[in-house]
Amino acid sequence: MSQEHKSWFTTLENEALICGRCGCCRSSCPVYRVIGWESASPRGKISMAKDIYAKGKNVGLSDEFVQRVSQCTLCGACSNICSTGIDTRALWLELRQRIAQSGKSPKAYEGIRNNLLTNKNISTFSNEDRLEWAQDLDEPEVVEPRTGAEVGYFVGCVSSFFPQAAQIPLAIVEIFNEAGVDFTTLGGEEWCCGFPLISSGYPDDAKEFIKHNVDRIKELGVSTLVTSCASCYHVWKHESQAELAGYKLEILHTTEYLARLVEEKRIDLDELDEVVTYHDPCDLGRNSGVYDAPRKIITSMPGVRFVELAHNRSESLCCGGGGNLQSVDPQLAASITQLRVEEIKESGATIVVSSCQQCEQMLSTALRSAGLPVQVMDISQLILEAMG
Amino acid sequence: MKAGVLDEIKGKYGDRATDAPYECSLYSRDLAPVPALLVDPLFNTMPDLVVRPANMEEVAEILRTAWTENIPVTPRAGASTVYFDTVPVKGGVVMDLNLLRGVVRLDEERMTVTVQAGTTWSELDDYLNRRGLTVKSYPSSAPGASIGGWFCMMGYGIGSLKYGSLLSQVRSAEVVLATGEVKVLTKETDPPLSWFAASEGTLGIVTSLELEVRKLTPMKHFLMRIANIPEMTRVLSELKDAPVTPYNLHFADPACMRAMHDLGLIPDDIQDGCILEIDYEGSDRELAQAEDVIRAMAADNITINMLPSEIAAMEWEERFKALRLKRGGPSVLGGEVWLPTDELADYLADINKMSLSYGINLISYGHVVTPKHATVMTMFYADETKTIKYIFNLSLVKKIQDIGYRHQGYPYGVGLWNTPYINRIYSRKQLNELRERKKALDPKSILNPGKVYRSPLLMNPFTFGIGMDVLAGILRAAGRGGR
Repeated sequence: MSQEHKSWFTTLENEALICGRCGCCRSSCPVYRVIGWESASPRGKISMAKDIYAKGKNVGLSDEFVQRVSQCTLCGACSNICSTGIDTRALWLELRQRIAQSGKSPKAYEGIRNNLLTNKNISTFSNEDRLEWAQDLDEPEVVEPRTGAEVGYFVGCVSSFFPQAAQIPLAIVEIFNEAGVDFTTLGGEEWCCGFPLISSGYPDDAKEFIKHNVDRIKELGVSTLVTSCASCYHVWKHESQAELAGYKLEILHTTEYLARLVEEKRIDLDELDEVVTYHDPCDLGRNSGVYDAPRKIITSMPGVRFVELAHNRSESLCCGGGGNLQSVDPQLAASITQLRVEEIKESGATIVVSSCQQCEQMLSTALRSAGLPVQVMDISQLILEAMG
Repeated sequence: MKAGVLDEIKGKYGDRATDAPYECSLYSRDLAPVPALLVDPLFNTMPDLVVRPANMEEVAEILRTAWTENIPVTPRAGASTVYFDTVPVKGGVVMDLNLLRGVVRLDEERMTVTVQAGTTWSELDDYLNRRGLTVKSYPSSAPGASIGGWFCMMGYGIGSLKYGSLLSQVRSAEVVLATGEVKVLTKETDPPLSWFAASEGTLGIVTSLELEVRKLTPMKHFLMRIANIPEMTRVLSELKDAPVTPYNLHFADPACMRAMHDLGLIPDDIQDGCILEIDYEGSDRELAQAEDVIRAMAADNITINMLPSEIAAMEWEERFKALRLKRGGPSVLGGEVWLPTDELADYLADINKMSLSYGINLISYGHVVTPKHATVMTMFYADETKTIKYIFNLSLVKKIQDIGYRHQGYPYGVGLWNTPYINRIYSRKQLNELRERKKALDPKSILNPGKVYRSPLLMNPFTFGIGMDVLAGILRAAGRGGR
């Protein structure tokens, strides 16, 4: 189901030299589209990185450069269109790491790091409260960790700690129960997946988190890991493989797993008279290649009229919430969301479905502010709605 | 520079104008990585101010001020050329036109679209495709190149073989002259539209254009592996003159195929020989006819090996990614030559000889863009971090252009770096006429000064020729160009 691109990334120095400065990346970059200055374009950032790292020019790490590198959602649109095949997402991460190593990271990144090292999650709550959301279930104990289950549900920080997103794990548990899925969670032993650390330039710290989570999964002995967070999925799928070596684990996003349940007719979907569109989260779509599963679910629902947004699948526009951008420049993040809101408006959809809690939060806030009568739902919530 | 005037513009345009060195330095670059050692002593490439006008009125207002105050203005949008077309050489104001973006009007009866000049070709085509329409032709840098930018260059690329030059598809253009006067130009106006095609931003700033569009039609893609260059050029010639005109006719020489193979871009079984990519669009009948032409040609010629249609379709999908070849670099140097197709085989044979003489791997590929001409890119790998050797290697670019010239070719585009070849590109009569146009429309030479019309003193054809030939001679004696 996934269509992933091969990465040709070599080193920051070499890739910066390879960049042809053709500028194909400019119009696909949401940050450049909002800011408009050359220094905000992927081409501009790489050109500066070339001066600093590849050509040995004595230009140092200026505040402007650090700011521009942090003004990126890591959406991967530039990588998708790059005429020289640069895995720019890998390049931005490498740049953020170099900046962190030089002690010049934005303060917000340091805050994210310190909080994660202390709390093991992105909130300020104790990690032991991971399953607090489950108190709204009739039988909260069904989600308590237990060995021997087939599926491990990795809830993710946002769904675990933020009340608005808690509806997602609740929906998933209901669907799993209805379909008879044998599942468990990591409970208070689930740590942040490490994505915020990787995207802040601290991949070595992230390794500790990845190792912890992999060890817990191994202890539980599950054969399938399902997560409803696009970023967690990306980390499990792409960053955890070394730790998982020798342990056979199928890693699926909820869209993929739920599509399987629908296909196997383990859940019944009633008619839903709505015009539905789908927003591809960058970490699930462009950066992981999962496009078809959510569309299969939506189009299998009786009564639903599915419409695509103007930019979809690999061309999808970012919601503005990726790459820790909200922590360093919330105004820019919100302006990027507006670009997507315009497309949602044009689509005529009554429901916009996504499969990433961050995208859903960004889109909900922007659509509410715009006063548009469009409901934002996670794919699991849409299924629950159709289950009646 | 009159600081007070620049401050005034800066004040007026607020966060859409800057003189910050960090930002301005990025406007002193295009695709070409030319060593500072060569650029800095000769040119002032650092803009004093970069301003981003949002509409034609603002473009006109800035130009009026610049005209009054004699401030050089360099227009810039995609900045996707390698000739410093969009890089100032005398400081002044760089006008970033990327906010002039979007479709103004679609007229489906006239089958035209009016579009702002800073819109990229891909953006326009996406807009049209959603309405069942498409552009007639576009550059192979469509995702980055702007509509106005390509018009101000020569405007030949994908689709030109079938639909002609961009100039032939433009019904009218809104242009702001150096004085700030706004004109809507057509073939019949004074000055005519044609003056501005290939003027490289030296006569006026194009702010919007009305272009012909066409219905979006189905396509068919074919890929031929052909054993050798003479046979490839013979087949190419037959195809371009066949009753069904290809929409796109792209070729790559054996060195290009090997380079692509080495980079893992093509499978093992097609690494030898040349490649011809032939793309057709049109009615089902036209496509069926095209398929018959191709199949008949392949059946009669044992040197042709038809590659699977999936690979042909993939090549088409990847048509904007020719720069992937740069991954073998990290830098590349080369020359793009406007060449008669009749000369292509002999040109490539001479390029092959040059490869052997200089111990350098020259890679060539190109597009047939008119029934008689192709644009051919011949390039080689270099390393810009090794400055001295890189400067020596620059001399080989002249040698490539010399081969092109021997075969009635000349550089495709002028800008700054091709001004030493200006007498090859234009006849004396043509050049005088171009200079008269410049004098008539921009007598103070504030628009993109230093480009197109004459070479800078130290780059005059004689000095430039001797200098480059000496460097190339040293490389030849050493037998080692390239990286």
